[in-house]
Amino acid sequence: MYGRVLGVAVVGVQGHLIRVEAHVGRGLPSLTVAGLPGAGIQDARERVRPAVESAGFTWPLRRVVINLSPAGARKEGPGFDLPIAMGVLAASAQVPGTHLSSYVFAGELSLKGELVPTPGILAVAIAAAAAGLAGVVVPLANAAEASLVDGLEVIGAPTLAEVVGFLRGSWRPEGIPSERTQEERVDGAAELDFADVRGQGMGRRALEVAAAGGHNALLIGPPGAGKTMLARRLPTILPALTRAEALEVTRLHSVAGLLTEGRLVRDRPFRAPHHTISAAGLLGGGSGFLRPGEASLAHHGVLFLDEVSEFRRDALEGLRQPLEDGRVVVTRALGSVEFPASFTLMAASNPCPCGFDGDPRRTCGCPPHRVQGYRQRLSGPLRDRVDIALTVPRLTRGELLGSTAGERSADIRGRVEAARERQRARLEGTPWTCNAQMSGPYARRHAGLTDAARTSLADAVEALALSGRGFDRALKVARTLADLEGAASVERQHVSEALVFRAPSHQEPPTVIGAGVG
Amino acid sequence: MRRPADLAREAPAPRTPRPESLPSWPHGFASSSADREALLILSGLATLTAGKLLELAVEHPTAAACLAAVRRGRSGSAGDRERAVATDPELVRSALRAADARMVAIGDPEYPESLLDLFDPPAVLFVRGRSLASLTPRVAIVGARNCSESGCDVATGLGLALARAGVGVVSGGARGIDSAAHRGALAGGGRSVCVLGCGIDLVYPASNRELIDDVATSGAVVSEYPPGIRAEPFRFPARNRIVAGLSRCVVVVEGAAGSGSMITADHALDLGREVFGVPGPVWSPLSQVPLELIREGATLIRGPDDLLQDLELAQVGLRDGTAPPDGVSEAARQAWDGLRAPTTPDALAEAIRISLSAALAALLELEVRGLVRSVGGRYERRVGDDDG
Repeated sequence: MYGRVLGVAVVGVQGHLIRVEAHVGRGLPSLTVAGLPGAGIQDARERVRPAVESAGFTWPLRRVVINLSPAGARKEGPGFDLPIAMGVLAASAQVPGTHLSSYVFAGELSLKGELVPTPGILAVAIAAAAAGLAGVVVPLANAAEASLVDGLEVIGAPTLAEVVGFLRGSWRPEGIPSERTQEERVDGAAELDFADVRGQGMGRRALEVAAAGGHNALLIGPPGAGKTMLARRLPTILPALTRAEALEVTRLHSVAGLLTEGRLVRDRPFRAPHHTISAAGLLGGGSGFLRPGEASLAHHGVLFLDEVSEFRRDALEGLRQPLEDGRVVVTRALGSVEFPASFTLMAASNPCPCGFDGDPRRTCGCPPHRVQGYRQRLSGPLRDRVDIALTVPRLTRGELLGSTAGERSADIRGRVEAARERQRARLEGTPWTCNAQMSGPYARRHAGLTDAARTSLADAVEALALSGRGFDRALKVARTLADLEGAASVERQHVSEALVFRAPSHQEPPTVIGAGVG
Repeated sequence: MRRPADLAREAPAPRTPRPESLPSWPHGFASSSADREALLILSGLATLTAGKLLELAVEHPTAAACLAAVRRGRSGSAGDRERAVATDPELVRSALRAADARMVAIGDPEYPESLLDLFDPPAVLFVRGRSLASLTPRVAIVGARNCSESGCDVATGLGLALARAGVGVVSGGARGIDSAAHRGALAGGGRSVCVLGCGIDLVYPASNRELIDDVATSGAVVSEYPPGIRAEPFRFPARNRIVAGLSRCVVVVEGAAGSGSMITADHALDLGREVFGVPGPVWSPLSQVPLELIREGATLIRGPDDLLQDLELAQVGLRDGTAPPDGVSEAARQAWDGLRAPTTPDALAEAIRISLSAALAALLELEVRGLVRSVGGRYERRVGDDDG
């Protein structure tokens, strides 16, 4: 009395094909799961029997053993209810074995036998397609999500009874809404636009440059200056997601259980975690099922850290790795899990604990050592990875009234996409695709400075006490400014403008730069 | 045109002459070595302020007699009485030596005569550095601790100009305007006098240690309090009266309403010293003290040149923030002209009708030249820096 069906264990965002074996043998009625099941799968034991019985099938009142193979790795995920149930039904000869080996089964069961929405189905579908299987059997609510994968038959079933009906040939799923019809609905969803922003020309400019070169940015300003308003609009000027990028983002959101209606995520994500977030919440982790953190949910989008100096030190320190490698590796006793996390970081901070340092109309009451400590907290772990810093003033009524409304996001995005294209062409043959990723030495050799630009940069290094790192950052931003303009070489005005966006000098000790500019 | 020496000789005419009836220090109050030893102890007693000691001195005409009276409980708190008994003057003396400081008592040649205009002149001063007698004439520069960057520039410029003109700068040891004034004086190669609100061997705030050591090297550091006395809120108003008393006139740069700058200015007015105010924007909280003083009749000065002119001293070439810069690009010059008040780069670009990129490039050019700076996202002209 043996049955075998396929399931998928999701580790990180990666799906791994698992054979779910079921054996119904002699002995007192019991259900045992072997093969390193995680806590979520152990839990399934209690759900499967009521679900099977509610759906009108017979639970074999004998000793049932389930084995998850390969047995060596720990399996996690709530999607194992369905394959375990199907394994038992196959082992007790209640379903024919004809289709069993060509479909992957995934989904959580209710005690009534319904298939309820399950996180990570996209990862399951991708793994099934990669293994060359014919299709997946998933909860109806996840069918649209699974159908994002090309060349895969998706069986979306509302309950366990339909799954059995499908295998017996007595039930066919209805058509799933095609992706094309979804697309139209999504485009109207981007409601934020830079056209709504009055004043803040500097902020608009800084964000355009950040978007064009993939630079991380720091906004410093008093409460109410408009830092969050600006940051929220950064995704609207980033280049549209490619299909491959969109799938990656959707898979991450699917694993995190954040996918609603199973549609493809087409807007660049904007994640703004609260500053009380733990390191595990920001970077991914958790006990048992490893969940992607906010940094990964911001993959291909924007991670916005408001009040960045209030974040826990260990959480900020942990951001070094994704900022460096574009991924997070979470290591546990049983192995390590990798989540993609390539995002644009937008950090915002008050200038001092009270927020009014530098405001002409309010007096800052912070003792200087507290201001210094506050700024150091903000500068420490992120200092090397933030290319653009901008002080955002609280505008007076006069300044607001005197200013014109801004450009539309779509127009800015046009320039950003053109600049990105130029970077991609220029960086052909390097591991990088945008200016922010360039290494310092590479930038110094290949930025393409004119003589005048080089002279003015050298002057500024001295006059503004620029550190070596500050120098490299200015160089990269200047390159982006030239790319935005479509200029082949970096001119003097690009360097000047890039230096305006440099980090305030008190954030880093001045160091002497030895290397020449090539 | 007078020379600084003339300024020193001319006794300031007190507006409210000190009434003869007020008690003054008896002749020979601190003449004997026993008296001087007694002063080492008396000066460290918290409740025995200069005024109280002066009252006591009416009946007990020497410091030693006053100390005996305090030990008998005639004046001061119980705690001070115990301290008056327990303090070993030899320890105070060695601490003074360790701090490289000396005691200047009433009646000593170094004791600044101008302090006697106070109704409660201190019986004793502790001094590090040069002789106070060599540091005349003196002008005080006072203002807010949490000053603005432009206020800081103004104070530095004033300190520098006074130093160049040979005038000693007097100020407290606080951060903000006080520190800026001292820095300006030191940068001008001049001398300044720093009046502490704590014991002569201490520095408050501690971050000013280096600055105050520099002041002690070229000028003098002064305190009413012997070594070991910690800075406490009530000592700063008392310190401010010495700042006013030591000076020929007082310049107030920035101060929020109800701040210590007002106290110093009030002392200066009581003593008949002239008060100068540097005006600021009417909406800025830091302008309130100078503006109020100007309303009440203090002399308005726009910068070092006005002050030097009013003091009838030769002017030293300092930029006052209105003269256009030389040797910069046309765009930078336009940007400079457009920066009449702190302005955001985008507002500036719009006002002078150039692109934001061009405005940013122009502003950076000015910034590299040290002519403008960015404060809280707005650019402003820098004033008071040395052109030469």
